[in-house]
Amino acid sequence: MHIPDGYLSPATCGTMYAVSLPFWFVAIRKVKQVLTTRTVPILAIFAAFSFVLMMFNVPIPGGTTAHAVGATLLAIVLGPWAAVLGVSVALGIQALFFGDGGLLTFGTNCFNMAIVMPLVGYFVYKVISANSDVKSPRRTLGAVIGSYMGIIAASGVAGIELGLQPGLFHAVNGTPLYAPYGLSVAVPAMLIAHLAVAGPVEAVVSGGVVAYLQRAHPSLIKAGAVGTKEGKLWILWGTLGVLALAAPVGLLASGTAWGEWGVDELQTMGLGFIPKGLQTLYRWWPAPLPDYGFPRMGAVIGYIMSAVLGMAVIAFLVWMLGRRLVRRTSPAAQVASQQEHTG
Amino acid sequence: MSTFDTGHVFEAKKLSYDYPGGIAALKKLSFAIGAGELVALVGANGSGKSTLLKLMDGLIFPTGGELLALGQSLSENAFKSGEFRLDFRRRVGLVFQDADVQLFSPTVWDEVTFGPLQLGISKNEVVSRGQEVLQLLGLAHLKERPPYLLSGGEKKKVSLASVLSLHPQVLLLDEPTTGLDPWSQGNLIDFLLQWADKDKCLVFSTQDLDIVEEIASRVIIIGAEHNIVADGKPEDFLSDPDLLLRTNLVHEHSHRHKDLVHRHPHVHEHHHND
Amino acid sequence: MTGEGFLTKNISGITHTLESVIVAEDLCRAPGLLQRLDPRAKVVTFALFIVTVGLARSFWPLSAIFALILAVTAASRISMGFFLKRIFLFIPIFTLVIAIPALFVTPGSPLVTMASKVIITEQGARTAGLLFLRVTDSMSFGVLLILTTRWTSVLAALRWLRMPSLLVDILGMTYRYIFLLLHSTNSMFLARRSRTLGSFSSNENRRWLTRALGTTMVKSRHLSEDVYLAMLSRGYQGETRVLNDFKMEYRDFLWVAFALVAVSVAIWSNRL
Repeated sequence: MHIPDGYLSPATCGTMYAVSLPFWFVAIRKVKQVLTTRTVPILAIFAAFSFVLMMFNVPIPGGTTAHAVGATLLAIVLGPWAAVLGVSVALGIQALFFGDGGLLTFGTNCFNMAIVMPLVGYFVYKVISANSDVKSPRRTLGAVIGSYMGIIAASGVAGIELGLQPGLFHAVNGTPLYAPYGLSVAVPAMLIAHLAVAGPVEAVVSGGVVAYLQRAHPSLIKAGAVGTKEGKLWILWGTLGVLALAAPVGLLASGTAWGEWGVDELQTMGLGFIPKGLQTLYRWWPAPLPDYGFPRMGAVIGYIMSAVLGMAVIAFLVWMLGRRLVRRTSPAAQVASQQEHTG
Repeated sequence: MSTFDTGHVFEAKKLSYDYPGGIAALKKLSFAIGAGELVALVGANGSGKSTLLKLMDGLIFPTGGELLALGQSLSENAFKSGEFRLDFRRRVGLVFQDADVQLFSPTVWDEVTFGPLQLGISKNEVVSRGQEVLQLLGLAHLKERPPYLLSGGEKKKVSLASVLSLHPQVLLLDEPTTGLDPWSQGNLIDFLLQWADKDKCLVFSTQDLDIVEEIASRVIIIGAEHNIVADGKPEDFLSDPDLLLRTNLVHEHSHRHKDLVHRHPHVHEHHHND
Repeated sequence: MTGEGFLTKNISGITHTLESVIVAEDLCRAPGLLQRLDPRAKVVTFALFIVTVGLARSFWPLSAIFALILAVTAASRISMGFFLKRIFLFIPIFTLVIAIPALFVTPGSPLVTMASKVIITEQGARTAGLLFLRVTDSMSFGVLLILTTRWTSVLAALRWLRMPSLLVDILGMTYRYIFLLLHSTNSMFLARRSRTLGSFSSNENRRWLTRALGTTMVKSRHLSEDVYLAMLSRGYQGETRVLNDFKMEYRDFLWVAFALVAVSVAIWSNRL
């Protein structure tokens, strides 16, 4: 899911950087608050862990391998905001050193994998595991489902980002300047790849590690309390966020009906759109690009773009509101979090 | 360099420490260490030596009793004062057992200059201290090397260098010779002996009894019950095989001569003629 | 997937990463063009170039920039084969896979026809070509930055550019500890391999992997606690202070000027 440079226009990249910035700022403040001066070593080492995790190739049925991102896992152990920073740092090093993910698209990749993924994943995990005992199987289930949903959400957003390119950024004669496939192709392609392949890998790894930790080191799971709020407000907040995400996707549904082209000439294709065994995609390869000159499309896509932006603004505002409404963490929790020494 | 203006460098009064979770690490230790001493902390694995050194470096704080260093009782509150904190960190240095923990900077040069920089020393002075300490330990050719490219012995040396650049008066070392080859061990011992003087204080933990006799003027033995079993001159205790057996510092050796079984503690006895 | 394959793939992946960075360290010290430039100048001008690549609308600015990249690489004493391998090994291959269908699928004026059916359109060819060139150009700048600049210098440049010191500290330390973790992970894999006679099923591999990951995670936690104590012990108070010895020299200004000119020309050509 690491989008390289060249697939997104500078305008998109700039927008995504702008959208990610508030989340980074919030994360830094929250994490500093709870970890105080410990922030640097703890985050650094877990970012390193996240990086190493992304290097593991997990065997999947079908004979190939895929790798997990581990954002939700990190959120479970360290809290969602620490995960935001940790994964961002890991992505940064991957982009700089290994060209895995571009530099202009760094903001976008962070938004997808370091912001959407851990926040969605953690939210689902919390909803499922609620206040159950640290060793309860509900937590493992929460980890499995949470991480799966997290990566799906991330891939969906990535698909939208890629799919918007040809419609918005093309040359005079219609040539797409960046990612060449429209929403009706990019989104399903990304979603399917992750629903079928990357998602299960992520779920298995996250669930497996959480299960292991429950047996061997349960204290690590309880420790994931950095910057979270217990109680109902978190759930409300999260629901709002999920709804905001769903809105643009809902709009999409009405858009796919356009531009159905004769599919016969396209069926001779045998190449994979995204590698790693997605031949199934071609059986129902839909028409890739709606008519660029079509006037209504411009307005709708603009609408979607502003919905995405609006969602970010809403989330930020809700957070500000939340801070005013929610009680601070209880003194007992603060003392407990300070006694994190392992002797 | 100011000398110690109070009597003791370290004074422990029924010092106890429990790990979070309740397991006892140290139980009611009482001792006093003065300037000019070279003290060996001896005890089997798990006896709490590392924990005691961390307590002495003000990184963790007693859960029972009291520990005074440089005349001040060490506690979370004491370290809130910026002045005391800076003074303490400058004067007391701890070399960790695991060098990787201590080498967190991108290069050796960054590592040895980290300490003085954080303590607010002027840039020129920092640079000269860095160069001085690299020369001292023969590390100048490793200046730009990143830590992961160093050998085990080099890592330990850089570890030591990074603490020495603080120009500490008190040097705490956690198992400094573990993992070093005999040649490096000898070098390190010579270096420490040279470093020590009447205005400084050296406390190190070890499981190697040979080292104790070579460096220490005093030995404190911590037993399996996490309390002090012996405290005094090395000669007094290191020739007492029963004591050593009881504290798990030696193992019992047995061999047969036909039907006769010889059982005796496996200990080397050194006799020095000073 | 046999046990052998799973292990080998991961071990070789990890070892390859470790080695590649070590090679990079050596290259940073070579007396080449880019190595001698001030890291701040490099970071800023490379970022400008990447943005320019993003804004380009036709082939010729992208190709011209690629030619520039090759020239600068050669002037920096980097072996062309090594450089091209690094670039073309990863993303561009993946990109080709994405770009090729676009050749056939993009509607527009025909370029190549076969048996009176349109196969490749002009628009398709342009899209694929633009995408490929963009990715290659952007990647090259990233690669060149890392190959010719010491990581500590990159961090210091970021700090100078007002990146929050917390993030720069974390970046620096993360980089250092990635190697520790990779090393210990490598040992885990090798240890397992040395005890393996036959091969394992995918399931067993997965289970072992999650256990290995769990152990690494616990190790990470302990490590971070101890590292924190070690930092405290040497006076760390929250904001790391560093030595900075940057100086912009004549050749740095020359380079920045050159970059500005190149970027302006490329952007202006978009209007044509």
